[in-house]
Amino acid sequence: MAKLPAPQDLLASRPPFQGEHWLDIKPDFVPGGFCYPAKKETMELLHMPNPHEWDPAADDWGLPENWEQTICDAFAERLEKHRSLKLFMDICVRCGACADKCHFFLGTNDPKNMPVLRAELLRSLYRRDHTMLGKLLGKTIGARGWDKNVVKELFCYAYQCTECRRCSLFCPYGIDTAEITMIVRELLHEVGLGTHWIMDPVKNCSFTGNHLGIQPHSFVEIVEMLADDCETVTGIRPKTPFNQKNAEILFITPSGDVFADPGIYTFMGYLMLFHELDLDYTFSTYASEGGNFGSFTSFNMAKKLNAKMYAEAERLNAKWILGGECGHMWRVINQYMDTYNGPAPANMILPVSPITGTTFTNASSTKMVHIAEFTADLIHHNKLNFDPGRNDHIITTFHDSCNPARGLGLLDEPRYVLNAVCNNFVEMPENTIREQTFCCGAGSGLNTEEIMELRMRAGMPRGNALRYVQQKFGVNHMACVCAIDRATLPPLANYWAPGVTVSGLHELVANALVMKGEQKRTMDLRQEDLPGVEEDESAAQEGEGE
Amino acid sequence: MNISECFRNYREEILYLWTEAVYATYPFETKGLLGTVIDPFGNPGGDMTREAAQAMYDAVAGDETTVETVKTALERFVKLRAVQKGTPSRALGVFYLLKPIMRERLLPLCAASGELNGYLAAESRLDSLTLLAFDIHMAARETLAESRIMEIRDRYAQVERWAQTHTRKAHLL
Repeated sequence: MAKLPAPQDLLASRPPFQGEHWLDIKPDFVPGGFCYPAKKETMELLHMPNPHEWDPAADDWGLPENWEQTICDAFAERLEKHRSLKLFMDICVRCGACADKCHFFLGTNDPKNMPVLRAELLRSLYRRDHTMLGKLLGKTIGARGWDKNVVKELFCYAYQCTECRRCSLFCPYGIDTAEITMIVRELLHEVGLGTHWIMDPVKNCSFTGNHLGIQPHSFVEIVEMLADDCETVTGIRPKTPFNQKNAEILFITPSGDVFADPGIYTFMGYLMLFHELDLDYTFSTYASEGGNFGSFTSFNMAKKLNAKMYAEAERLNAKWILGGECGHMWRVINQYMDTYNGPAPANMILPVSPITGTTFTNASSTKMVHIAEFTADLIHHNKLNFDPGRNDHIITTFHDSCNPARGLGLLDEPRYVLNAVCNNFVEMPENTIREQTFCCGAGSGLNTEEIMELRMRAGMPRGNALRYVQQKFGVNHMACVCAIDRATLPPLANYWAPGVTVSGLHELVANALVMKGEQKRTMDLRQEDLPGVEEDESAAQEGEGE
Repeated sequence: MNISECFRNYREEILYLWTEAVYATYPFETKGLLGTVIDPFGNPGGDMTREAAQAMYDAVAGDETTVETVKTALERFVKLRAVQKGTPSRALGVFYLLKPIMRERLLPLCAASGELNGYLAAESRLDSLTLLAFDIHMAARETLAESRIMEIRDRYAQVERWAQTHTRKAHLL
């Protein structure tokens, strides 16, 4: 009869020297570590290839009979189409500069989450079919063929990459590992493998304009509800213009900010700011989602979902587009939109702020301006009246959202705004912010609750830096400029730095904004009492009594 | 040499051996980073392990401390292991990796100097510390479960509110 093992035996630590080659270790699919698969009917509605029911935890994923040929052909086609992909496959010298830069690697300690090795999963397949040495020497030089476990492995690691591009920042060759992930996801879609949390919003955005699939009239009513909330706080009900032709500006923001807490407070911030400026703008019920879940699926899907921005700007005859606080929306706009759907419609012009007269020459091609730039410009020209004391109960830090920071270069504008509306702003450590910012751990369609464990370990480097400033400087708030961040950072903060709240930039702007004709503010946008107001009132009453 | 001196003299060596034993629970390719990069933000996993190692060793050695101080020092490390792949026994069993190291390095010295009871008390403190870590681990798992629920609730918060408004209107008609 066996005896109960000692604790060190229970741990089953690995042998002191490497056993199995890393490329031969099979991926394991345990609950909490994989996203739920996309529904067959969703994939059918979107005309995706090979829609079928499947379960990531099962042995058989129900791949189509000719799956290998399908993937090989699709890979060859993409190598032909994207010269960058071919370069990325060929030029990596495996220097390892990227290896420890990935938040997934730091959180999981899984070697296949080193960006170099994650890309190597695809490179090994590339070598066999597309390089002479690989054809001749095979496994000796790291080439391998396809089998069903390789497909599973690609799925496992393509969805443990948030396409944040932190690794690319450190690559001396500029290899964009995020684009490799995007291609792997495309290849997986060719054999019907996608995730529910991405494909459901893609379907909803395709059919109704926003990611939850809320019908246009309901969307408008929800926005009006938020305008009512603004009135409760300020005594002023901001206008909510929808689908107005010939408005100067079309405003597009992620629909998550209309539906989800705490994003709604950022949206209320937009309404109040625009009302205060008496801005000639409109929302659109058709282009009611700025975020582009298609970019987590395929280039074609990203192009399709992005197209409605210009289509709506043309239909409504808007001069330029103002974009809200979003992450991947801005990466698509700044890096892909010109190629996807450019040039901008003829009715669009170089964006000029109607309030300050500033010309946004940086947006001369896309005709789209980020709201942080827009607001920073307003503040620079002294066009807004703030009472930053209303935000005195928070000591805030700023999380640079990956795509605006690395995909758009939006680094100083949010900080400029934050410094104008808050008296207490503290930066996180240098190698965790700006271009080097750590991802929230749930971008690129990974912000789903079934992988909460995975998100917490992937978001650990960000949570760790947040915890540091919380303990050292008493930080109790984190601002960001991304809707996915606003959804995913609250649980991350609650896990790694409990007590830190999360908001968008424009929630803090609106809290500090002194609007013309507003009532005395006694609460913030969340309708929580503003600290100090009660004491002021009591003191005033006492003063009157005397 | 009394027991306090024993623990003090072997502190660095035992800390090194324990952290190496912890790193050995991770794949071979990751050990280099964990063990060599001293940057709390570039190598947070290694930093958490080192912080936990020091607090654990000093508490086990019998230094003056409080439960809260020890828990705070262990928190990051335990929370990370609570969300990494593996069973709870694998997550928390790492604390018991200290026992064979202590028995090899310290037990013979303590026995020779008649401090066996003191040594056994130190091992008992390690048991207590592991129980404290279990509390942190369970609280972390509870937080995860709550976060799942909160996230689903928050994601549709305004849609639900809007639907309730319409339900109320329908009742009034």
